[in-house]
Amino acid sequence: MKRLELRDVTVKFGAVHALAGVTLELSAGEVLMLVGPNGAGKSTLMSVLLGLVRPDHGELRVDGQVRSLRGDGIKHFVGYLPEAVAFSDSLTGRQVLRFFAWARGASSKRIDVVLERVGLTHAAGRSVRGYSRGMRQRLGVGVAILSEPELLILDEPTGGLDQEGLTVLWSVLEEWRDEGRTVLLASHDLALLERRVARICLMSNGRVKAEGTPDALRLRAGLPHRVNFELRECAAERVSELLDALTELGLAPSEVVEQRCFVDVAPDGLLPLMAAQARFPDAVAQLRVLEPQLDQIYERLLAEESPS
Amino acid sequence: MSRVARALIAHEFLERLRDRWVIVISVLFAALASAVGLYGRAAEAHASALTGPSLVTLASLLVPLVALVLGHDAIVGERERNTLGLLFSLPVGRLEVVVAKFLGRGLALGLAVGLGLAAAMFAAGPGQAQVLAQLILPTLLLGLSFVSFGMLISAVTTRQVTAASLVVVTWFGLVFFYDLGVLALLIATDGAVSQQVVAGLVAANPAGLYRIVLMDRLAGPEVLAGLGLTAQLPGALGQAAIWAGWIVGPLLLSGAALRAQKVAK
Repeated sequence: MKRLELRDVTVKFGAVHALAGVTLELSAGEVLMLVGPNGAGKSTLMSVLLGLVRPDHGELRVDGQVRSLRGDGIKHFVGYLPEAVAFSDSLTGRQVLRFFAWARGASSKRIDVVLERVGLTHAAGRSVRGYSRGMRQRLGVGVAILSEPELLILDEPTGGLDQEGLTVLWSVLEEWRDEGRTVLLASHDLALLERRVARICLMSNGRVKAEGTPDALRLRAGLPHRVNFELRECAAERVSELLDALTELGLAPSEVVEQRCFVDVAPDGLLPLMAAQARFPDAVAQLRVLEPQLDQIYERLLAEESPS
Repeated sequence: MSRVARALIAHEFLERLRDRWVIVISVLFAALASAVGLYGRAAEAHASALTGPSLVTLASLLVPLVALVLGHDAIVGERERNTLGLLFSLPVGRLEVVVAKFLGRGLALGLAVGLGLAAAMFAAGPGQAQVLAQLILPTLLLGLSFVSFGMLISAVTTRQVTAASLVVVTWFGLVFFYDLGVLALLIATDGAVSQQVVAGLVAANPAGLYRIVLMDRLAGPEVLAGLGLTAQLPGALGQAAIWAGWIVGPLLLSGAALRAQKVAK
């Protein structure tokens, strides 16, 4: 699979539009994260791709070829991790993987490889009933990657994972990206995933509100960067001159605490600020620029009025 | 049949073998069937007249219950455990899932029935083996038709407790009250309903068909006549059609119900 396109997908539950004309494209080697509040349509969009929810309208294309959204669609090359994944309690971890290996045509050797990969070799013979939430989640990741699918669809993959589990997840994301395969995931863990995804799609009320790389979204949100000046111990008048210079540029410090001074500045104000501080090498020991966090961008973009 | 469906049949069969409830009920059936066999053996000269009909009565009560229980959580159980989405994300059709689950559970039921009847044959002694062998196919068909009906209950309900309640209602309805209903019809119409219609109504119910056909075969038509059923029973083709209808019909309806559901998880 090189390219997957969903066009104008609409899903209605009674009067409620779970998805309202969503269009989304995914390219090989891309890790795309869906973000949005509960009920935004993230899981529904994934379910439509997997044939679990029948859309009222919409089209799916794989490498330009139209595929049914009601039949097998893309199921032959998808690995899926549902939100709050569960398995039959009476089965062991190995039995769960064996079933999915049979169903997906994966070799039995692959079961051991996957168990090792997700760190469940020691618990493979134990009933899933005794697994912690994190272990079930890891087993779910194992089921998803079992047949080395071209597309991974992961719904809230970080749920319940400890640091070891997160490391497994990061390595899977890297492997899929590096091997030119594709990952579509939905998560609320923006801070954890920000640096591991290529593109973010912000959804709200069943619509795509914004889409782009984390940097592009940062730019679009127009949130100020926070610049932190670490001040040297010097004559008070030099510090005062520095603050005056910043104020003249319209960059009045928002906060001055002991030897630190904070300035909130729009991205286009960064260069003048650098130039200003360069004139005071005896007053400024260090300067750090803090980018707005993804969750701040998310809140800003969500607060924007929907396009009519 | 797809690879997923084949895997699902094996998975369902093996999972049922691990199911404690299925094991307990199978052992119970085998124990009761053995007791019936031993009872018949003790009767010596009347063994044929006792063993077969007694086993028919036992199986007509127990097998539908086991079968309904086997089928009732096939879909709704997965839905409630939140495992249905993962299953339907595999390249397999909804009807195919229903059929595969039916076959896997049907195989488990077949094993339980086979073991029970084998235990009865062993207990009854070699002289009764041929008589009891006549029970194997009809008992399997009875079980499969109720597994299929259990699957339908499972496909149209959203909670396992609702499905379990419907199992009880179905079991009482088809195994106990159906015949009483036919009797009530006769009384209400003051016998105006023909014997042929009554026989047809009894035979339309898989539990009734099982009982009257096997009683006719093992105990003779005079036993049915003694119960007031003198009309001709459906022929082999008619019986096959009734069994096929009860087995295939609910499966098709289950597949249709799942296809009609907008959300399959």
